[in-house]
Amino acid sequence: MKLVYPWLQDFVKVSDEPERLAETLGLRGFEVATIEHKPLPVIDLEVTANRPDCLSVIGFAREVATAYGVAFEDPLGSGRSKDRPLEESEHETQPDLDVVIENADLCPRYAAQVFQVKVGDSPSWMQDRLHAAGVRPINNIVDATNYTMIERGHPTHAFDLERLGGRALRIRRARAGETIRTLDGVDRKLEADMLVIADSERPQAIGGVMGGAESEVTPHTTLVALESAWFQPASVRRTAKRLGLKTEASTRFERGADINGPLAAIRRVAELFAKIGAGEPKGPIIDRYPAPRPSLRLALRRPQIARLLGADVPSSDVERILMGLGFTSTPVRSSKGEEGWLVSVPSWRVDVAREADLIEDVGRHYGYDRLPTTFPALDAISPPHDPRIARAALVRETLAGAGFAEAVTFTFIEQEAATPFAGNGTSTSLVPIANPLSESFAVLRPSLVPCLVDAVAHNRRRERRDVRLFEIGTAFSATDGEARKVGLAWTGAGSPEHWSGTGREVDFFDLRGAVERLAEATGTAVEFSPGTVDWLVPGRSAMVSIAAGGPNPGLALGVAGQLQPSIAAARGVPGADAVYVAEIDLDRLAAAATGRDDLRVTPLPRYPSIVRDLSVLVSDTLPAAAVRGTIRAAAPNELESIAEFDRYQGKGIPEGQISLSFHLTFRAPDRTLTDAEVDRSMDAIVAALAREHGASRR
Amino acid sequence: MSSAPTIDDLRAQFDRDLATVASEADLRAVRDRYLARKGGLVSALLKGVATAPAAERPALGQQANSLKVDIEQRLAERELAIEAARAPAGAVDVTLPGRRLPLGRRHPLTIVRDRVEAIFTRMGFEIVEGPELEDDYHNFEALNMPPEHPARDMQDTLYLASELPGLGRPATLLRTHTSGMQIRYMETHQPPVRILSPGRVYRRDNLDLTHTPMFSQFEALVVGKRISLADLKGTLFTFAREMFGANTRVRFRPSFFPYTEPSAELDISCIRCGGRGCAVCKQSGWLEILGSGMVHPAVFEAVGYDPERYTGFAFGMGIERVAMLTYDVGDIRLFYENDLRFLEQFPL
Repeated sequence: MKLVYPWLQDFVKVSDEPERLAETLGLRGFEVATIEHKPLPVIDLEVTANRPDCLSVIGFAREVATAYGVAFEDPLGSGRSKDRPLEESEHETQPDLDVVIENADLCPRYAAQVFQVKVGDSPSWMQDRLHAAGVRPINNIVDATNYTMIERGHPTHAFDLERLGGRALRIRRARAGETIRTLDGVDRKLEADMLVIADSERPQAIGGVMGGAESEVTPHTTLVALESAWFQPASVRRTAKRLGLKTEASTRFERGADINGPLAAIRRVAELFAKIGAGEPKGPIIDRYPAPRPSLRLALRRPQIARLLGADVPSSDVERILMGLGFTSTPVRSSKGEEGWLVSVPSWRVDVAREADLIEDVGRHYGYDRLPTTFPALDAISPPHDPRIARAALVRETLAGAGFAEAVTFTFIEQEAATPFAGNGTSTSLVPIANPLSESFAVLRPSLVPCLVDAVAHNRRRERRDVRLFEIGTAFSATDGEARKVGLAWTGAGSPEHWSGTGREVDFFDLRGAVERLAEATGTAVEFSPGTVDWLVPGRSAMVSIAAGGPNPGLALGVAGQLQPSIAAARGVPGADAVYVAEIDLDRLAAAATGRDDLRVTPLPRYPSIVRDLSVLVSDTLPAAAVRGTIRAAAPNELESIAEFDRYQGKGIPEGQISLSFHLTFRAPDRTLTDAEVDRSMDAIVAALAREHGASRR
Repeated sequence: MSSAPTIDDLRAQFDRDLATVASEADLRAVRDRYLARKGGLVSALLKGVATAPAAERPALGQQANSLKVDIEQRLAERELAIEAARAPAGAVDVTLPGRRLPLGRRHPLTIVRDRVEAIFTRMGFEIVEGPELEDDYHNFEALNMPPEHPARDMQDTLYLASELPGLGRPATLLRTHTSGMQIRYMETHQPPVRILSPGRVYRRDNLDLTHTPMFSQFEALVVGKRISLADLKGTLFTFAREMFGANTRVRFRPSFFPYTEPSAELDISCIRCGGRGCAVCKQSGWLEILGSGMVHPAVFEAVGYDPERYTGFAFGMGIERVAMLTYDVGDIRLFYENDLRFLEQFPL
């Protein structure tokens, strides 16, 4: 709202510099965008959606008067006493104009008056003020209506009466197939629930939004029908939005105009017509207002003010503030003996519906800066945080400690990028967005991996060879909804290039190590089994699940492996780069973790261990985990640990076989083991391996 | 024919030569140059004493000898010094780069979020998390924003093409704020309430320097029997000074949000210019950082709290904005590109 300072001064005697006035209004809830000084001093203020009454000069005049403690004088009166519905006008006959409200639900009040006019330019003082307020002058008739709208906040509209078929105004819903050419020259198709102002035949205006070109005031117009109505806010809002037509009028009506504004507005236009010689009334004001609304009265309890604001505002301040803003208050004492007021709410204050709204106005003008600064008393210890907070922090620290930088990516992606990751490899489990900003944000991500791959590509295109990234976030599926996951992506060096020559490219076992580290940090034992999904390279991917021995054994946690090079290439990662990725479900991981608080320590061993090395020849297609499992099953409880230390294939090893070597550590909790005991265990292990896998000892 | 060098010349020359000695090999070369039996400059000088006039011979001999002793002594000293400087057996060059374990990073948005959470944890807030997909009721209606409410324009919403299973009701949209979680919490807990709900939120905003369709925020809610606007003001002022520094000046202004009444915004003195006026604060000296207010009675009614018994306050803030201000980031998109050259500027 561009507030033209001299215009404001018509209503309230204030002479502060515009900057000071702007600051004062800022502290009363109206943010200042800019201040101009020439040609007229103008303060551009942001008016919040709840205060349509301040989309006007008089709205601000009341605020300024209250803030400065000076009088506000409305030449048209308070807007209450004189704006009571003119009972007799309901029945007024007006030979020149026939007004009928057909849909009072969308237009509860419609006033109109016929004027004999002489169209020309408006005087320069009026044009200057309109310019300053951001309105383009057109002619004296339209300018007077716009001037009234800026001044009083109530839009009016002038029809060329002689262009209205049947000299009639029908306020009704549009009919199927009706169209209108609006004042901006655009032909618009109307829908059945849009409110129109029609003549006896067709729509001549879209109610509360914009007039029609056909009945527009022209230089030849001599008779106008001036409309001053109140339109239902939700209907105006819907219509304006549907038509993509936001106007000064629709902005005011959709936020809520003053139901008692129509008559004051029509009188003000008449006054201006007379003042600038644009025309004079021809007949009375017609006021169709079938169901007048009573004014709202609210109880304001004095103790509630202190309760909500935390400050004891003196009664005299409360009364002064309410009066300044146009409320009338009568002191009352409730049945419980509480002091307070019965407050009558002016009809322009559409935002004030309850006691708290009154208290806000008291607080605003008392000054938030005068409120004490206190601290809410803590009555009880707070419950612990959502466990996901600490869990995410632990995952973050673990992976950052493993060289992964945390990424944050958008949770919506292109459908094409998402599809390979959608569960079964089709797009049926994807969650599309109904109104995406663009195709690149079309669906919710089914996995964190495609987003991380894009981040890898971004870095690779910027000369960054070695990239390790992780993200903690949500993945979405049409069947399972939201899932909290952690995703990892790793390309380039497995261990970084070093002058000593220890650098190495990343491989599956680097990635697996990172996932194992993550599981270990969270207190979960996991296992990797051969298996794949569409987006990983078969033979270089694994399914990750909860290991046997803990809660929920076998529960699937996610996958890890090399990303399909075709997918990497499609997202802009150079084809020759191996990108290793993993994704783990954090809720499932947490469900399998051993609670720290439930942990009980195992006593430290008191007897020495015996370590034996075992090398066996097995088929090169046999998973090491199978060999490990056989060893475990065949060994006594004294087998403390199994550690693979070599896997060899080549010279000296028969075709199709490999040599697997293990360190086996034996220990008993209650005695020192003898070599003979361990020898027997080793024999049993070797026998079992021969039996199960045809393995021979090397 | 040039005359033979004088003793003083030789001494000066030796001084210069010795100064260039850096290794044992250098030292040997200098020793040979002066003291070698054959061709050593000092050796030649000593030999020349015999052919000098008899009267000068004793003095000359003495000076030449003294020069020789002097040179021998200084060479020995230098030899010791070189030996002392030599690396011990098995020494390594410690100035070569180490075999570093690469160190990852927390994302800057996480760093800010962690700081915020730490401050509110100290104030006794419980941190809660909720779903990112919401239903219209929890995102809007329960927050005093019925359908067609003009304030819905303030939060242009991304909708799902079809309903998904949600918490209680089917999810239809991407949450525009984390307030839905506050509603859910109040539906299942009785006051006192003191919670902080951080998380990712979504709005239908085009990408530009200061907007992204997804961003992070935190919201706080306090409900009790004696919670006032003054308590809100005190809490926010404390938070602002903890977050932005003890010298931060703060300003509390009336505003409007549908779910709070009265509503207020918090400004802090510009953290770039200290309030003198600069491009960051658009010359105003103030930065608007946070929206807040007393919980609207209609919100309490929606969750079954009696507004006559309880009052409460709520506030919310964007994490990106704080990160941009704190770290002087001019383009919000940097947070989502995940360029390691950006991420690695932040320590873990």
